[in-house]
Formats: sequence, C-alpha cells, structure tokens
Amino acid sequence: MELEPMDDFEKELRQTFERQPAPPGMKGKIMARRRVSEPRSHAVLWQRLAASLALAAVLGGVVEWNWHLREERRKGEAARQQVLTALRITNHALNHMNKQLAAHGRAVQE
Amino acid sequence: MAHDWQPDFEQLVDEHQSMVFSLALRMTGDRGLAEEIAQDVFLELDRNLGKIESQPHACFWLRRVAMNRSTDALRRRRVHGINLWVEMEDRHGIKVEERASPLGARLEQLLATLPEPQRAALVLRYQEELTPEEIAATLEAPLATVKSNLQRGLKLLRAKAGVYLKEYIRGT
Amino acid sequence: MQNRIMALVLGAAVLAAPARAQTAKLPAPSPVEKALAARAFSVDEVTLDKNMLAFAAKFMAGKNKDDAGIQHLIDGLDGIYIRDYEFDKPGQFTAEDVEQLRKYFETSEWSPLVRDRDRKTGESTDVMIKLVNGKTGGMFILDVCPKEISVVLILGPIRMDDLGKLSSLGGLGALGTVEKSVQDKEKKGGHQ
Repeated sequence: MELEPMDDFEKELRQTFERQPAPPGMKGKIMARRRVSEPRSHAVLWQRLAASLALAAVLGGVVEWNWHLREERRKGEAARQQVLTALRITNHALNHMNKQLAAHGRAVQE
Repeated sequence: MAHDWQPDFEQLVDEHQSMVFSLALRMTGDRGLAEEIAQDVFLELDRNLGKIESQPHACFWLRRVAMNRSTDALRRRRVHGINLWVEMEDRHGIKVEERASPLGARLEQLLATLPEPQRAALVLRYQEELTPEEIAATLEAPLATVKSNLQRGLKLLRAKAGVYLKEYIRGT
Repeated sequence: MQNRIMALVLGAAVLAAPARAQTAKLPAPSPVEKALAARAFSVDEVTLDKNMLAFAAKFMAGKNKDDAGIQHLIDGLDGIYIRDYEFDKPGQFTAEDVEQLRKYFETSEWSPLVRDRDRKTGESTDVMIKLVNGKTGGMFILDVCPKEISVVLILGPIRMDDLGKLSSLGGLGALGTVEKSVQDKEKKGGHQ
C-alpha cells in the first residue's frame, strides 16, 4: 500500500517520537537476570569439564577426587540458581501485590 | 526447524534495546516500568531464541512482545484521576521548557492521553515507521482497525496540539 | 516495601495462640498444576526442601555481599515451593483453576491475611501465613494476572525484614525500580 507523503505535523511527530536510548546499565541487568534464569552455559561448561576429568581419572585417583569436588560445586551452583529463581518470582509477586493493594487503597480513599 | 542464521542474544540486546525501551516508554509513560518491561521482553526472547529465524524476524518479534507486555502492564496499573500531563513531566524527568521543541515535548504528553489502541498505532507508525500492514501484523489486529486507529489518533492529536499551539502563541 | 505485609504478619503473630513447633514438609504438587503447566508457554518450578536449602546456603557462604544476604534469608527455612506459569494470552485458565489451587494450599494451619480481587480484570492476590509459637512459620502467596499465575510457598521462620530487602539484592532484577515508582507516586500524592 502506498502511503500519503507526511505533512508537517506528521514530520514533527516523526521527529518527536525518535527512539530514546535505553537507560544505562539496562543491558547489564538483562544479562545478569539471564544468567540467573538460564544456567545453560554453566551446564555446557560443567559437562565439558566432567568429560575431561573422566578421561584423566583413568590415569590417577587424585583426578577422581577433584571431579568429586567439582561435582559438589556444580550441585551447589545449581541449588544457588534455584534459590535465586525462587526469590525473583517471590519478589515479583510481592511487588505486584503491593501495587494492587496501593491502588485499591487509593480507590477506597476516593 | 533448521535455519542458517544463528541468533546472538547479546547482539540482539545491543541492537534493539532502545527500540524496546522506547516502545514501552511511549506506551506506559513510566521510565521505571518501561525498563522492567524491556528486561522482561529480552528474557522472554532468551526463552524463545530457538524460534527466531532471522534479524527481521527478531525485530518483528521484539516489537510485538514489547507492545503486548506494555498493554498488559497498563491494564495492571491503576490510574485514578492522575493529572497525566504533570505525571508525564515527572516520569520523563525532562521539564517541558528544557526540550528543544516545546511542541515536541507537549506531543509526548498528548500521546499519553490517547486511548491505548490509537497510541499503539501512532507509536508504531511514527517511532518505528511501520506501514499499516506491518502495524496490523505486529498488533495482530485487523488492517481496517489499525487504519481507523491511525486516522482517529492523528486527528485527535492534531486537535489537541492545535489547542496547545494557540495557547503557546498567546503565551509568547 | 514489604512493610505492609510485615505489619500485618507481626500483628497477627501477637494474637496467635502458641503451637508446638515441628519441621514443616513441602506439599506434593496439586493436580491442577499439571493442567496449568500444559497450557503455559513458560513454566518455572522450584522445589527446595530443607536439605537442599541448607546445601545452597552453605555454597553461598563467604561469597559476595548479595549471596550473603540471600544466605541469611534462606537460613533455617524448611522449604521453598514456587510455581510460576506464564500464558501467551488471557483466558488460558479459569477462576475454578485458581480456586482449586488456593483451596489445595489453604489447610487449617493457614490463616488468610490478604484477599484482594478485581472482578473487572480477573486479577487477584491471596496471602496466607502460618503461625507457629506466635512466630511466622510460613507464608503463602497466590498472585493471579490475566496471563500469569504465581504460587509462592515458603515454610519455616521467615525474616520479614530480609524479605523486604529482596529487591535490593543483585541478580533479582530491577523490580525495585517499579516499587520505587509506586512509592514516589504515593509521596507526591498525585493519585487523588
């Protein structure tokens, strides 16, 4: 469909509604939240590490012990991320609830 | 589904974060809320990264989800008798007189007074420069509805801006 | 931020009759959860019993300040049970689903604290607490939006002050910014 050429008012709108830059640090927050919610990269890292250590275990018992320690660490990190997910959702629910209560409180006042 | 292009999440954030944030900001008029929405949009993108087939598809997907989430947020938020003009100033953190174009600043405020469907159509038309067909696809709305919203929204905005212009001229 | 809840909980605790303390157990998933999960496009399920929480807390010890804050929050808890269902459009669940979910968790040990309903939008919030020996022994939140249902069940002694600091802990997102917006609006009194 061919659009009509923009008049001056529409050009003003186009200029006014230019995209605004995202707040500084927003990308960092996104990446941080992504790490909390998706441990894919950790899983890949730990999978690769476990595979290497399994091979080395054939050569000596010390490596087998190190693998055990790392497994413990992996499980700990997985548990930690579960906790963070739980708290994030709790925070979100509490915030929403507070907004609801605040709004209804205002409605009652009116 | 096999496709050659592999999405790079961080690159998509870099390329589109201002678009997503601006859409949420113009729909909600609230910087804090817009940032929260923008973050949620990208996290949802991360969960659905496997479904993104190309750069244009990513852009389309982000616009659609940003608009959906903004509409949801507006529905959740209670607005009782707020003086929107004053609140727009506070939320944007920019005083009207500081903007290069006072009319431009007022247009931002006037946008917030429009009904949501008209606001959505105008934001996609003038911020994103989408055609009515593209807007209809983004909003999953009939083309006729989008055209009607564009027409009515623009008419309303002109009328309100016209009132403001007259006042502004009288003021100088 | 969570002062509202804290005030209600502390008030309820004063009035509560003493009860014998026992380690609370996490419930089995309710039947309706499976149906909700099947319809949702995004599901988060976290079930951490006492042992897992202790293990996570031990792992967080001695790390950064944020982890220390979280460790303090979960220290001593008996369990955390979280379900979050996001749907791609409204109408994917019914009021009956929500009611079933709420009834499943509302056993006699739990006292309703908040019951907020919006008939127009269908949004609702239920908060219940469990009091053990006059202290908070658990908290339950059921938060319903048109496209999302969140179930939060925390068992054990909850430190309400620490819960109030949730949004300031790193890695949990910028939800504190939204809360600040609400607080700012309330301070300015712009909602008359």
